[in-house]
Amino acid sequence: MTAGNDVDAQSLPAFQQYQLAFTAHIRNPGQNKLPSKVPASRMKVYTEIVFNNLQSSVSACFPVASKVLGKRAWTRLVRDFFIHYQSATPIFRQIPEEFLKYLSMAPSLPPYLYSLAHYEWIELAISVADIQDATADPAGDLLEGKPVLAASLALLSYDYPVQLISPRFRPDAPLPQPVNLLVFRASDDNVRFIELNALTARLISLLKDGELSGSISGRQALESIATEMGQGDTQSIIQFGHAILIDLKAQGVILGTVIPG
Amino acid sequence: MAQLSDSRYAAIKGAGLGLKRELIPQVQAEFGKPIIANIDFLEIAPENWIGIGGRPAKQLAWFTERFPVACHGLSLSLGGPDPLNEDFLHQVKQFLDLHKIPLYTEHLSYCTDFRDGVGGYLYDLLPIPFTEEAVHYVVQRIRRTQDILERRIAVENASFYVAAPISEMDELTFIRAVLEEADCDLHLDINNIYVNSINFGFDAHQFLRGIPGERIVYSHVAGHYQEAPDMIIDTHGEDVIDPVWALVVEAYQLFGAFPTLLERDINIPPLSELMREVDMITAYQAPYLIHDESLIRKKVALR
Repeated sequence: MTAGNDVDAQSLPAFQQYQLAFTAHIRNPGQNKLPSKVPASRMKVYTEIVFNNLQSSVSACFPVASKVLGKRAWTRLVRDFFIHYQSATPIFRQIPEEFLKYLSMAPSLPPYLYSLAHYEWIELAISVADIQDATADPAGDLLEGKPVLAASLALLSYDYPVQLISPRFRPDAPLPQPVNLLVFRASDDNVRFIELNALTARLISLLKDGELSGSISGRQALESIATEMGQGDTQSIIQFGHAILIDLKAQGVILGTVIPG
Repeated sequence: MAQLSDSRYAAIKGAGLGLKRELIPQVQAEFGKPIIANIDFLEIAPENWIGIGGRPAKQLAWFTERFPVACHGLSLSLGGPDPLNEDFLHQVKQFLDLHKIPLYTEHLSYCTDFRDGVGGYLYDLLPIPFTEEAVHYVVQRIRRTQDILERRIAVENASFYVAAPISEMDELTFIRAVLEEADCDLHLDINNIYVNSINFGFDAHQFLRGIPGERIVYSHVAGHYQEAPDMIIDTHGEDVIDPVWALVVEAYQLFGAFPTLLERDINIPPLSELMREVDMITAYQAPYLIHDESLIRKKVALR
């Protein structure tokens, strides 16, 4: 993409040609000349302020990814984002999501970086999602009743141990099995992460799908897991699963059960 | 002396404070106490709050239930080369209606570009060249905004650092032309007049006298960073300086004591320190508020 060089640029009013030259220079001062007769010292104020503000907005959401990459590489990455990407949102808290979209197609990044950035972004997304918890019976029977999950919640599966990555630990290969993480907004509005085993992840996934299609009971969810596993001992799966449901309730992932009516 | 407070925005009067995240717990803790008695209204940027849930949504509801709130937008890009973001404007309208916010203002600037037929946000306020064509272009976008929002908006005079060599008129002529042709209101930023007067070497008081006072809905004061004798960066990160207060006083003399709000965006001191400046606004307004009984009562109570 080349900035400000549209073929029909000449047909634009003079003030818009000037504006496009102005913004093209701000985005990529190394490549695009500043508009003619504009003092370089004054123009520099814009090239610095605009980029620094953007970089702060992006970096605030990605404290680990920026440290893992290192200051110089991170700054270059944000600059590439600014040069190559047309951010489409007027809403400031969505800037990190735009950056994430850019990362998904950015060349030559460490293979784990997108997963790590996604893991950092999801905390923000879950904390401010515009969705409210449904009412639930906190004393309901989690096995026979239909469990209600925290409304702002996401089940995640990453090929890298994103929760462990730091400047001292940069994974050089994907995990043999993906890591399952649950992130949710608790009733106190704080965001929590829980690492899940495969069975619990499947259970939450079934309950979540069930909520969309009219709810299923804890027992129904566990019975279908037993069927999926092709295991004869449904009873022990239900027993084991019941304990998981009680634990998820204690952690605030499950709020209670659907109130009939 | 002009009208005291615009009846269209009766709730927006007196002295105000820009509501930054850092200030939320402090204002909540001091609510109802004398120290913040002079905060008559608050201002938020809709871009920080539209479509938000969770804790910040509850905070916003707390404030809109207790204070009159004005919305001061940052992302509309009234002067931008890309198409006006009408989806966003519909979101703004919903937001204003939901929170019963009477007033929405925006900057006379742009924050987007247009590359390969796609608009993109740069998230900063950039100066529109002051040309005849730009006047008509901006006017048509302000009108469209007012149509979608089903209300008048006010536009704010922006601060800037580069004068476009292609400009055909001065800033004041540009502002006046836009206001008249669009028939919209003015959100007067008094600090920006001062900043631009230093950055471009004109007389701020003379500029002020040319402002169409009858269009002012409210004003801003703020501090800034003086980088060089002829260069100010509009940081909103310092205390308001005396020459800016002098402009505030002259503006009240010229146009009456319109509502005025303190902006502080970085280096935010404790609320008690910020209140000293909010209290100064109240004090400067006092001599020009003889007709507004509710504000007079407040003043008496403070004595």
